[in-house]
Amino acid sequence: MSIEEQYRTRAKELLSGGAVKMVIGYGKGSTSDRRRPLFISSTDEVDRLVLDDACIQNLSGYLVSEGLLSDEKRVAVFLRPEGIRAINILAAESQLDAEQIVIFGFDVIGTEVKALKGIHVEEFSDVINSIKKGAPEAKEEELFEKIEKMSPQERFSFWQEEFAKCIKCYACRQACPMCYCRRCIVDSNQPQWVNTSSHTLGNFEWNIVRAFHLSGRCVECGNCDRACPVNIPLRLINHRMAEEVLGAFDHFAGMSKTQEPVLASFKKDDSETFIL
Amino acid sequence: MTKILFSDKLDNCVERWKSAGLTVIGPVQRANISTYAAVEHAAELDLGLILTDRSIKDLFFPQSEPMLRYTIKKESIDTDECLPPSGPRIIFGARPCDSSGMAIDDPLFGWDYKDEYWFQRRNESVIVTIACTKADDFCMCTSLKMAPDSSKGSDVLLRPLAGGKGWVVEEVTDRGREAFKTITDILQESSDTAAPLAVVEKKFDLDSCVTWLQNPENFESRFWKEISMRCIGCASCTFLCPTCHCFDIQDEGDTYTGIRRKNWDSCSFALFTMHTSGHNPRSTQSARWRQRIMHKFNYFPGKFSVNSCSGCGRCSRQCPVDMGITETLQEISKLSQ
Ligand code: SF4
Ligand code: SF4
Ligand code: SF4
Ligand code: SF4
Ligand code: SF4
Repeated sequence: MSIEEQYRTRAKELLSGGAVKMVIGYGKGSTSDRRRPLFISSTDEVDRLVLDDACIQNLSGYLVSEGLLSDEKRVAVFLRPEGIRAINILAAESQLDAEQIVIFGFDVIGTEVKALKGIHVEEFSDVINSIKKGAPEAKEEELFEKIEKMSPQERFSFWQEEFAKCIKCYACRQACPMCYCRRCIVDSNQPQWVNTSSHTLGNFEWNIVRAFHLSGRCVECGNCDRACPVNIPLRLINHRMAEEVLGAFDHFAGMSKTQEPVLASFKKDDSETFIL
Repeated sequence: MTKILFSDKLDNCVERWKSAGLTVIGPVQRANISTYAAVEHAAELDLGLILTDRSIKDLFFPQSEPMLRYTIKKESIDTDECLPPSGPRIIFGARPCDSSGMAIDDPLFGWDYKDEYWFQRRNESVIVTIACTKADDFCMCTSLKMAPDSSKGSDVLLRPLAGGKGWVVEEVTDRGREAFKTITDILQESSDTAAPLAVVEKKFDLDSCVTWLQNPENFESRFWKEISMRCIGCASCTFLCPTCHCFDIQDEGDTYTGIRRKNWDSCSFALFTMHTSGHNPRSTQSARWRQRIMHKFNYFPGKFSVNSCSGCGRCSRQCPVDMGITETLQEISKLSQ
């Protein structure tokens, strides 16, 4: 039985027994290479679920939108390892109760889809551990290397050109499971912390805010990067910040549901004498 | 015999227009995205694209623009109005869905108040549209009762010749004729005929969708929630849309001095309708998506007798969760049968 079939069967069982109220997975998209999020709450719709190497979106963000979990019922969700890490962070940051989440874990190696064993988030710690080990090499990319080699001035010009394209559509924020704030700082106007305009300064402000608010929290799922309609390589920023946090604090985001948020916790023996 | 502009003469035209004082603008690739920008030479233009990522709207209604500078003094407030940068320009190589999008927005910007930012730019621009011989899965002009060679909103319409050798010239407006006078001697008479147009399949029946939307009973239909569950509420679709025109006015600066700006806004944002009390009449994403559809195909045509959509397909092409106007109207079309 293919993983797709296995997971459909499991979805049917869970829904018919009332163990979960909804399964969030993937369905066919508008073109043959696209998949789209699919919300299934009845067993007759289960066969619409698709699972293949084109299922790339991290679906974990839907769990914290519009009070989905507020009735305390369980929801099942298809997740890659990055998505599973996101559940840990959301739980650690008190945004959801991990008990309510039933995971349909999978990973894609090349074009092959592999099932990940487990149901609850704590059962995936081995998978996450192995990603942490491979983390520094995993994201090697030519453009990333190129930027690393640039002088600060060159790097500034590079990002200036990229950010100049930003239209402040906030697709990057909306696509990110970690950007769950009901009122994002850029939407706050009393006081107005950040310019709403999408001019050079405003775009820099937004992208710097985003980079910092996601440092130590980003799981590098790539949702933001893929969502950006003007192709700003946001993944490079996320990856750079993740490397910094890993180097400075040995913190790899989303290891467990009790992991302390690195930039929101302090210890008496911290080497720094201040907190930001 | 028809008038032909041969591709290898395009650079001469660009030169000619520049010396006549026109800024020449067209589709280009810049920093990994296709958009409209000013060019010096024809070679910079990317005329092979189906459609630019960014829409032509940017040229008439930019994402952020200054309206006035102010200084608050003890007794008075000094203001200094900022009008859009002026100067005639020619936009070469727009697509029919972009050009018609500008014509769709004209009545809106000229309705109770004539928006000088919009009209100054409109009056100073000549739009030269190239009919489409290629389309992708998301193009839907024909569903909107337009076509790959609609001349709506264009001053000149060019029809490509087979093999990319050039274009058959069709002057549409006086402004277009005027701009092409400067290149009359470059144009050639020829019996070459235009290449076949792109085939764009009709995706839904617009009239039945509009009737469904006009029925007040459907305002609270479950359909809205079902169709928009995956919408993440970004503004990708509205900001890339040539016809979306919502904006917000913001003051930037300190207590005494600053600048008032007009910035794009989007009905997809929760903040769009948020009251100061915290109450939000469109509190869910489904209510916001309904607004987008209702506005485009019910309220806007109700007021201006034209749909606020030119069928460019950008909303569906770029949506991070594979939604868009197309799917929604296809589903409504089914519901209304
Ligand atoms: S910042 Fe981007 S890559 Fe990181 S978790 Fe958010 S969406 Fe995923
Ligand atoms: S998705 Fe891209 S264009 Fe939109 S706000 Fe983010 S960086 Fe800017
Ligand atoms: S339909 Fe797509 S592009 Fe538009 S707001 Fe929703 S998620 Fe964003
Ligand atoms: S609604 Fe979509 S298809 Fe219609 S004009 Fe706007 S972006 Fe294009
Ligand atoms: S209300 Fe929405 S759909 Fe209508 S123009 Fe404004 S942003 Fe576009």
